Amino acid sequence: MSDQRIAVIKLRDLLMVTMPSDPDDPTITALQDQVLQAMERYNPKGLVLDISAVESLDSFFARTIVETARMVALMGGQTVIAGMHPSVAITATQLGFTLGNVLTALDVDRALEILASPPQMKVRR
Amino acid sequence: MSKTASVPVSKVEEGQLGSESSFRLLVQSVKDYAIIMLDPEGNVASWNEGAQKFKGYRAEEIVGKNFSIFYTPEDIASGKPAQELKIAADQGRFEDEGWRVRKDGSKFWANVTITALRDPDGSLRGFGKVTRDLTERKLVEEALKQKAGNEAISRRAQEILDISTPVVQVWEGVVLAPLIGSLDSQRTQQLMEKLLEAIVETRSSVALVDITGVPAVDTATGRHLVETMSAVRLLGANVILTGVRPAIAQTLVHLGVDLAGVTTRASLSAGLRTAMEILSLQIVSDK
Repeated sequence: MSDQRIAVIKLRDLLMVTMPSDPDDPTITALQDQVLQAMERYNPKGLVLDISAVESLDSFFARTIVETARMVALMGGQTVIAGMHPSVAITATQLGFTLGNVLTALDVDRALEILASPPQMKVRR
Repeated sequence: MSKTASVPVSKVEEGQLGSESSFRLLVQSVKDYAIIMLDPEGNVASWNEGAQKFKGYRAEEIVGKNFSIFYTPEDIASGKPAQELKIAADQGRFEDEGWRVRKDGSKFWANVTITALRDPDGSLRGFGKVTRDLTERKLVEEALKQKAGNEAISRRAQEILDISTPVVQVWEGVVLAPLIGSLDSQRTQQLMEKLLEAIVETRSSVALVDITGVPAVDTATGRHLVETMSAVRLLGANVILTGVRPAIAQTLVHLGVDLAGVTTRASLSAGLRTAMEILSLQIVSDK
């Protein structure tokens, strides 16, 4: 088991997590715990999950992220997933992976914009 | 085999070859070439080991029969055997490559040379026929041709695929994928890749997928469109399906295609207007 511990950083009123390129399952599970504990400790508005280093997606990773977002929502936070690779996006859709109420952003900068201001750049009907 | 000389041999040659029986042994034993003699009408007069190997007949079975038996039914019908003899008689020789038929009916690719054999006084004694089996070379040639053909086709297909799914930036932050024709899974894959790469490259927040040029929509197409739009949303961009004509709208509802969560517009210009709204942009007249 690799010694990857992912840092959960508090950035003003948000949490920031940068995913490494190939996290193993225990690391991913540990991350969920870390995030929820940080939610309790800092009571932030939301979480930015930067996956720009991730090049391939497996279903465990995908499931855990969606779960974590739901848990974060229950604790009063909004999750934004930032920097998804095109190839990962294609695989995700083909796997029928739905993000539910999780927002997505092209990069961390945009993610911060989304969380900073009240939602305006979302899809209109 | 007849005891009389098969081929006129000059005294010099006879000296060189030692004796006629040695010469006969030479011709007889060569296995890599079928060396046979035909009478002026084309009936088999002599046979050798190579001929037996290529064509399958033993000497006793074939001597006296007409050589057209080695040709394909199509060639016999078009009179090819007799024609070849005529050309050989007129011009001295005839060379050809083509399919020939073995005793068991199977075909082999032959290189054939027919030589007119004349007596010193010029009268036609018969023909010498030398045949090489080039089937293997032919098969390799055909395989290479087919491979080249297939490669050319798939290159062409890939080119068509590339041209037919262009993605253009229509404004800062807005990209457009105008679809022409039908959307099968291969094109969908192509489209998704190109559209997503374009969004990343141009840092766009809005993608317009225009289906004005898509003649008809079925359940599979509907699914492909929804897939494409989901992928775009995963990159944080808004996606608008534009060019939904009355017929398409009817089909999508009747088919029960689930477009929940998808923004749609009847025309590309309406989609562009919505894109501007999303970006909080306004177009103001100068008047």
